[in-house]
Amino acid sequence: MSVKQWIKERFPIDYDKFVEINERIFIKEPIPNHMKKWFYCAGATPLILFALQVFTGILLTFYFVPSPEMAFESVRHITEDVRLGFWVRGLHRWGSNLMIISLLLHMTRVFFTRAYRKPRELNWIIGVILFLLTLTFAFTGYSLTYNQLSYWATTVGTNMIKEVPLVGHWLLVFWRGGEDVSANTLTRFFTIHVGLLPPLIIFFISLHIIILRLHGVSEPEGFEKGYYPFYPHHFYKIVIITLFLLAFMSTLTIILPPGLGEPADPTVTPFHIKPEWYFFPTYRFLKLVPLKVGIYATGAFLLVMTFWPFIDPLLAKTEDRRRLWAYGVGGLTLIITVILTVWEMMVA
Amino acid sequence: MEQEKQSRRSFLFNLGIISAVFLATVTFIRDVIAYLVPPRKKKKFHKYLVAEELELPVGQAKEITISKKPVFVVRLKEGYKVYSGVCTHLGCIIHWEEDKQRFYCPCHKGVFDKYGNVVSGPPPRPLDQFEVIVENRLVYIQVEEKPGGPWA
Repeated sequence: MSVKQWIKERFPIDYDKFVEINERIFIKEPIPNHMKKWFYCAGATPLILFALQVFTGILLTFYFVPSPEMAFESVRHITEDVRLGFWVRGLHRWGSNLMIISLLLHMTRVFFTRAYRKPRELNWIIGVILFLLTLTFAFTGYSLTYNQLSYWATTVGTNMIKEVPLVGHWLLVFWRGGEDVSANTLTRFFTIHVGLLPPLIIFFISLHIIILRLHGVSEPEGFEKGYYPFYPHHFYKIVIITLFLLAFMSTLTIILPPGLGEPADPTVTPFHIKPEWYFFPTYRFLKLVPLKVGIYATGAFLLVMTFWPFIDPLLAKTEDRRRLWAYGVGGLTLIITVILTVWEMMVA
Repeated sequence: MEQEKQSRRSFLFNLGIISAVFLATVTFIRDVIAYLVPPRKKKKFHKYLVAEELELPVGQAKEITISKKPVFVVRLKEGYKVYSGVCTHLGCIIHWEEDKQRFYCPCHKGVFDKYGNVVSGPPPRPLDQFEVIVENRLVYIQVEEKPGGPWA
């Protein structure tokens, strides 16, 4: 009896149908012509990076110890003692940065080509959720290294949650595991980072891709209509991106290795305390306005961004005018974001 | 499916991609294994003073403790022998019986002679021995250096 026969008897599915479905869904998936341009492939990049993050993250848990006494020391151990530990940590660290960069690029592209329009509104919203989940990943992730920056970022970040109306205090206690940042906070962040967020983000990624496949990729104007199969051209493209990312992140790790910083000291707040660059706009904004205003404004911005696909049609009657609105709002958001980020970078 | 003739260009392209993926995969897996498997460390030893040469008469033993583990220092006609006091059967602590010139393990009646060899009972191998060095009438043993810290 052949192996195929043996498996078929124990796993009785219609094999031919399976092959057919697989061909239809993956191998012969129609990819619109414009996807031949690299510019339109920024959606696959965060997915590849996420897969790499899962892998390097699992590797890091082999040595990381989530306790206030051991967290910093175990990160030091990974970076300085373990063979190629600096590389694995570097990949994870740079992977998170690149994931946020690629998501920003992807979202900007989707926004300005207005790919969020009916019937794809839900996928934009899921995309925003994915972006926020990624930021939560990043925040809980860099808190785990337990150096001065991560400790005080955790303190400041969780304090901000307190300002959320009604449930603020409850959220604060939930994230901290008590009133103060303590060992509970660290284990919570660890569990959220490695246990809670991954299945959540995988669920939303799947939903994102399913909706994308059901509608097909949105096609921007100005390209010749036509399709080509997923395999081999697009498949190779993804392989090339993966190889490029691995090489690129390894290079970054060697040129700009992630440092260790000072071990966390709950009694001394350092003079220059800054979050990671992707929180710079919010951070600078919060410095400019009173805390309550800052929190409410950030919340309002998030709401507008999330429901933009439903707001966009209300703003004007014709497509041309709506496009102008989108360009205006998107452009303004970009300019303000860049200004706030650069501003925060320039000042000590 | 009909066999299509591949152009030179697409053949080279495929070859390039496949060899790049192969090389990347192999080196990646090698690096990950290196990361996961801690390197074998060379054992380091240091000398540890256990007795003066004339301290014990021939046929006598004394028990000392090194890193919370009992160690027997025995003076034989041939010179000093130093054994670990941990029975090689299931880890109980042995006793020195001077009248019978043997070691006895109370847990499962294992018996070792004064050279550490198994005489009777269940122990699977002789007692572990330390390397003995006698210098200037002092008896030392070679003790393995255990690095401190949580990652030892």
